[in-house]
Amino acid sequence: MTAAAVELTPRLRTWSAFRRNPLGVGSAIVLLLLALVAVCAPIIAPFPEGYGADTSQPPSAAHWFGTDDIGQDVFAQVVWGTRVSMAVGVSASVLAIVIGLLIGVSAAYFRRLDTPLGVLVDLSLSLPVLPLMILVAALAGPSVRTLAVVIALFSWPEVARVVRSQAMAIVPMPFVSAAKVVGGSSLWIVRKHLLPGVVPVVGVSVVLTTSRAVLAEAGLSFLGLGDPNSWSWGTILHKAQQSGALATAWWTTLFPSLAILLLVVSTTLLSVAYNDARDHRNSS
Amino acid sequence: MRFIGLRLARGLLTLWFAVTVTFFLVRLLPGDPVTAVADPNMTEALRQKLLADFGLDKPLGAQYLDYLGQLLHGNLGMSFRQSIPVTTVLMERLPWTLILTGAAMVVTIVLGIPLGVLAATRARGWVDRVIQITGVTAQSLFVPSVGIFLMYLLGVWLRWFPIGGAVDLDATGFAATLSMLHHLVLPCLSLVLIQLGGYVLTMRTTLIEALGEDYVSLAKAKGVRPGTVVWKHALRNALLPTTTIAGLQLGTLVGGAVLTETIYAYPGVGRAIYEAVGQLDFPVLQGAFVLLAAAVVAANLITDVAYGILDPRVRTS
Repeated sequence: MTAAAVELTPRLRTWSAFRRNPLGVGSAIVLLLLALVAVCAPIIAPFPEGYGADTSQPPSAAHWFGTDDIGQDVFAQVVWGTRVSMAVGVSASVLAIVIGLLIGVSAAYFRRLDTPLGVLVDLSLSLPVLPLMILVAALAGPSVRTLAVVIALFSWPEVARVVRSQAMAIVPMPFVSAAKVVGGSSLWIVRKHLLPGVVPVVGVSVVLTTSRAVLAEAGLSFLGLGDPNSWSWGTILHKAQQSGALATAWWTTLFPSLAILLLVVSTTLLSVAYNDARDHRNSS
Repeated sequence: MRFIGLRLARGLLTLWFAVTVTFFLVRLLPGDPVTAVADPNMTEALRQKLLADFGLDKPLGAQYLDYLGQLLHGNLGMSFRQSIPVTTVLMERLPWTLILTGAAMVVTIVLGIPLGVLAATRARGWVDRVIQITGVTAQSLFVPSVGIFLMYLLGVWLRWFPIGGAVDLDATGFAATLSMLHHLVLPCLSLVLIQLGGYVLTMRTTLIEALGEDYVSLAKAKGVRPGTVVWKHALRNALLPTTTIAGLQLGTLVGGAVLTETIYAYPGVGRAIYEAVGQLDFPVLQGAFVLLAAAVVAANLITDVAYGILDPRVRTS
């Protein structure tokens, strides 16, 4: 190791280790491309609506992913679906991270809150989440915003648990006691010392929570709880199921399924690569 | 039996939490249940009568106590659409879901243990790499996609298995049992594929740990055959932590069952949920959640107690 390498900050070392991992970089590129498709959907394909002339056509040069039973272009559905699926996934994940971060840090820092919050997290984690999400989403009425809020509402306990266990390791550190001794307010200590300490764990959590949220959105939309006025990958599968195309028109289900797979696998690989890169003991 | 008592108390607490959360979520969400079912043009008098019929005109606290009392009698309310008790609707469906999830769990364990052993005994070899990568990927699959893929491959294309329903209604006696198993294969396999990764990876990690223990070195030094060391000595100890994964994955299993039953038109609780979503039948949705939560709590209790019997150390902690 050269003298220059020693002076690298941990963040830079993680970044340089991450850059050398082809799986991680590849996943990041795939995710960026999907995000690009989501943002540029209006430029790539017209919004799929109304009835088309060519019904239930297999993939061809005119319709890359074929058409569904009312003649809509499946490629356009998948492109526009990327938008809603990713928007719901990301916003649900951000919301869940914020709630989980607040609850996890409070449980670790304020000892009196630890037991009740711990019990709350344990209880929420031991319930079957999907049927509960279905009930709440059905009652609240289907819309993109409902889906994001409902998914976040039942995804934060996992984040809270991870954050709490990381924060628990920081609270007994001497610098936290020192901060208390010099008269720092709780809010200041949490902001200055606890939050920076849990950020690396949260980094992985953001990625994994997003992919779980995308899967949850797809599941709810597949069951018919998606926004009726917009397309998501789950909605495409729901329409295929309802029209009876499930057993005949393979193209209506294959392409949205591949899109989900692509997103979830690349997020998983990205988090694995990030964890490896952060673990400096393994690198040279 | 203080241990069992404690676990039972925890199970009951979880169940109470589930029931209370649903009760308040349903009441706090915009629009009361009557507005959801009834015609928006109905007169105020009729609306009040409906509210009174469903007991929705009482204060929230009284409604909550009423609800808990009814639950203790096994009463989950009336289905909005079918005008029969929710309990009747769901109890008809529950056996199918239990058969499906039970079968999926057994098959997962039967396949998961040898695969975990294979990966652990060849740790860091290419077999291990393949099993690890497949395991991680399988965990991130979308259940309906897996179901649809198997349906095409084994149902539509190869025509080996039926693609919908749970049993051939014309069959009787032994033929009916065979038909039931035949219909079970595809939905069960879909669930197994989703679950397997978690079991194999946990099995692998705990077995690798167990193989590093002193008693394994001792057995090897005594000249016990390598196969016996793995299967008789190390595996027995590695199996115990693996039982906890069964409890942890119950939520995923139940969620997966809801989606799989929808694809294969399998007449379980999950399919009932799908139908209730289409008809906005809220009491059925609420009842299904309470019932599935109870099933998960009961299964968790059984795993915990079994673990306690197999490994006395956890009883004291």
